[in-house]
Amino acid sequence: MSAAVRALEKAGAGFGDVRTEDRNAFVVRVANEQIQSVNEVHRRGWGLRAFVDGAWGYASGTSGRSADAVQAARKAVVIARRGAAAGVPPSKLRKMPSTAITLEPKVRIEPRDVAGEEKVAAAMEVCRSEKREEVANTNASYADSDWTFELANTWGACLQWREVRIRIAGQAVAGEGDRRESAFDFRDGTAGWELVKALDLAAFGRGLAQEAVEMLRAAKPPAGLMPVVTDPGVSGLLAHEVMGHASEGDEIVKKRSFLTDQVGKKVGSALVSMYDDGTYPGAHGSIPFDAEGTPAHKTTVIDRGIYRGFLHSLETSGVLKARPTGNGRAQDFGRRVWVRMTNTYFGGGRDKKDEIVEETKSGVLTRKWISGMEDPVGGSFQAVTQSGFRIHKGEVGERVRGMTLTGDALSILKSVDRVSKEIALDGGTCGKGEEDYVPVAAGGPYMRCKIVVGGG
Amino acid sequence: MRRAQSEGADAAEAYVITFTSRSVYIEDDVPKVAEERSETGLGVRAAKAKRVAFSATTLASPADVRSAVGAAIAGLKRVPEDPDFSGLPTEAGKGEVRGAWDAATATTDTAGLLDAAKTFTDAVRGSKATSVPKAIVRIQEYTFRVANSNGIVANHRGTLVFAYLTAKCGSKGKFGEGIVKAMNTSIRPIDFAAHGATVARRAAENLRARAFKGKLPGVAVLDPLDLGEVFLTTVGSAVNGEDVHKGRSPWAGKVGADVASAGVTVRDRPRMPSGLASGVADDEGNATQDRTLLEAGRLKGFFADRKHAALLGVPAGNGYRRAVATVEGAYTRPAETEPSNLVVEPGRKSLEALLAEVDSGVYVEKFAAPEVNPLSGSFAMEVRNATLIKKGELADHVKVALLTGNFYEGLKNVVGVGRDLSPSHAFLTAPGCAYVPPMAFDGFDLVGQS
Repeated sequence: MSAAVRALEKAGAGFGDVRTEDRNAFVVRVANEQIQSVNEVHRRGWGLRAFVDGAWGYASGTSGRSADAVQAARKAVVIARRGAAAGVPPSKLRKMPSTAITLEPKVRIEPRDVAGEEKVAAAMEVCRSEKREEVANTNASYADSDWTFELANTWGACLQWREVRIRIAGQAVAGEGDRRESAFDFRDGTAGWELVKALDLAAFGRGLAQEAVEMLRAAKPPAGLMPVVTDPGVSGLLAHEVMGHASEGDEIVKKRSFLTDQVGKKVGSALVSMYDDGTYPGAHGSIPFDAEGTPAHKTTVIDRGIYRGFLHSLETSGVLKARPTGNGRAQDFGRRVWVRMTNTYFGGGRDKKDEIVEETKSGVLTRKWISGMEDPVGGSFQAVTQSGFRIHKGEVGERVRGMTLTGDALSILKSVDRVSKEIALDGGTCGKGEEDYVPVAAGGPYMRCKIVVGGG
Repeated sequence: MRRAQSEGADAAEAYVITFTSRSVYIEDDVPKVAEERSETGLGVRAAKAKRVAFSATTLASPADVRSAVGAAIAGLKRVPEDPDFSGLPTEAGKGEVRGAWDAATATTDTAGLLDAAKTFTDAVRGSKATSVPKAIVRIQEYTFRVANSNGIVANHRGTLVFAYLTAKCGSKGKFGEGIVKAMNTSIRPIDFAAHGATVARRAAENLRARAFKGKLPGVAVLDPLDLGEVFLTTVGSAVNGEDVHKGRSPWAGKVGADVASAGVTVRDRPRMPSGLASGVADDEGNATQDRTLLEAGRLKGFFADRKHAALLGVPAGNGYRRAVATVEGAYTRPAETEPSNLVVEPGRKSLEALLAEVDSGVYVEKFAAPEVNPLSGSFAMEVRNATLIKKGELADHVKVALLTGNFYEGLKNVVGVGRDLSPSHAFLTAPGCAYVPPMAFDGFDLVGQS
């Protein structure tokens, strides 16, 4: 690494860094109680980047020869120069103090110390427990990942750290005639095998089967603007997809975000606070350092309804004269660094979930998310839920099928009038535009607000 | 492969893919980031009786081969039997599909990509108060070889071009955005100036769009880009032999039934010239063949990898690992049943002619996310670039509205099929792509805020 860093400097990079990654993963998939695949994957490679007069050049590879990395360093500088010559305006990076740190993850039972047979058995147990007469198809998966990073840069940083993640998931598909409905759920985090050990796998699988069968009888959700009690997962989508993506510093620099001029302004009711926190213990998006070597950080994005600020990489910190927040992240050694979220969530309030429902005359309660879509330009929210429930006169009523929630994000946040104490975060991966997936988590409390509901 | 057998496997398969890619990222009208990357990887599948295990590694030295084989052999001891495993392919596809690899694209360097990016940016900036906040142009050249212990060897090389292009217009906190994607096996046919003009128009229309109020039943004309993604996640799943075998497909047991309007014919075309997923062999090495899945609305059959082909009694040839926007990561997963080029047979009408036949409806060029439940077909997708149609003419641009309905029901109510095919894909690592024309559906509703 040191030779590559020297080569970056010698070739004329104003700043440069080298990141090596060694990624190991173990993945099990089972369906209908039969093994589908057991995969053991090892990826190793390095990526270099050079910053020249405001433009970046990247070069990466998987060769084990240091001469190849040195040659790639020169290439990265040449590529950056080409970009600079094409009219990229100069900009400055926010310089970080040089440090030399090695960090190990806080894992109680290392997945690499658990026999593969146990991992297969865990997935099989979930799959087996989903089985019942009305269920046409049972599925489960297990995955763990163990990534080791090393980073050195021209400012003298020399870092090494590991990230360990684990995930177990199930999906039951119930069938009746031509009709198919499904229920999906998972548990994940920056944790070890203890996460699986703590889970009642059979109950988890049976719960999915029950939910899938109930979905066959689920009613069409109501349509229109109405009170919606969002569950922690859907609250998290609102935090992540709209407010989070629009708070990414590069979108602010480009003035592509509807939040560009909102610092200090009211963007939600006083019950709404929101954070991005890469240090959140055990959450799927937690990281010791980002891909630029900046330590993870808890950033307050919204404080009691007032918009406070943005998430940053070294470059957006330099341009916007702010502190780096540890949000410069990359999918892997071959991909560029963008400003990305980590664990993004709304803070808890004072209410209990049941009290929120009891005080709702009519509306819906969401149950689990399927997907969401960013809109940093327009600030509109779209989320698809797995299912939900009608609320009638303060009571949870019949189950309704998956629905789409949409509306103007700020209008939704300003309509928040009840927030539960309890919060929860769900993990996942997040892309920027179409690509560049990184592990993240999103969540929050049960929140009552007004959203347009459709679909089913 | 030989090492795996010497260490105890009855059968073994090796898949090696190497690729080089070059990308330019435009931000605020300038090429902020340029990158070059290369990667070589190996996937090993080992089998002993009915036990099958897979391992993968980046390939930098002979030690990596030993490591991957060792992991696969160790895996055999920990996996239960797969009673459906029917062995590895015995015949390989040979030759090349015309246009899958393009020499001019393979040799395009970063400077060439910067030129393409400038052409696009200049075209966008030709429109008033319009800029490029973000765009990606990437080319990739790849080669793979798959071999197994039955003695088959299949080779394939290809080039891929992927462009994700956006434009933004407006000022003082009020902005509109347009997005287009371009995908091809060659950079030469991609008209970056035309894409610039299209995306600038979409941005301007998005800025002018008004929130839609109420509910509009009628005809929805859908642009190919997002419609193709919807086809991949619904039809692509319903005719997927693995989903059929598992009981997930709503079309399981329906071969011979009418599942779509008579105007809808769908084929899987792995040998289509210049197709993004084209090749004479799939990623297991099986010889590919074009096949009809829906003919005039009637379900004709399914596609499958070797394992599910044997279970369903259909020809193999749809075992894929490589995606069509990028092949990165292809070696890290075993082949699974996926479409190659899922092609909706085009009609004879231009988009303008399709629109002219609509008395009342909406033309949707872009959704926030084109997501349909593949099991039930239900959807409610937020429109991002949409225009009302009144008496055959495009009228007001609308937003803050959902197009709702059931896509499987919509397939039975297709009232128009356009003539111009465009490619699209589902997501980054998903194999398979769709080539669909613009199509008109009756029975979907546009639902606004009140």
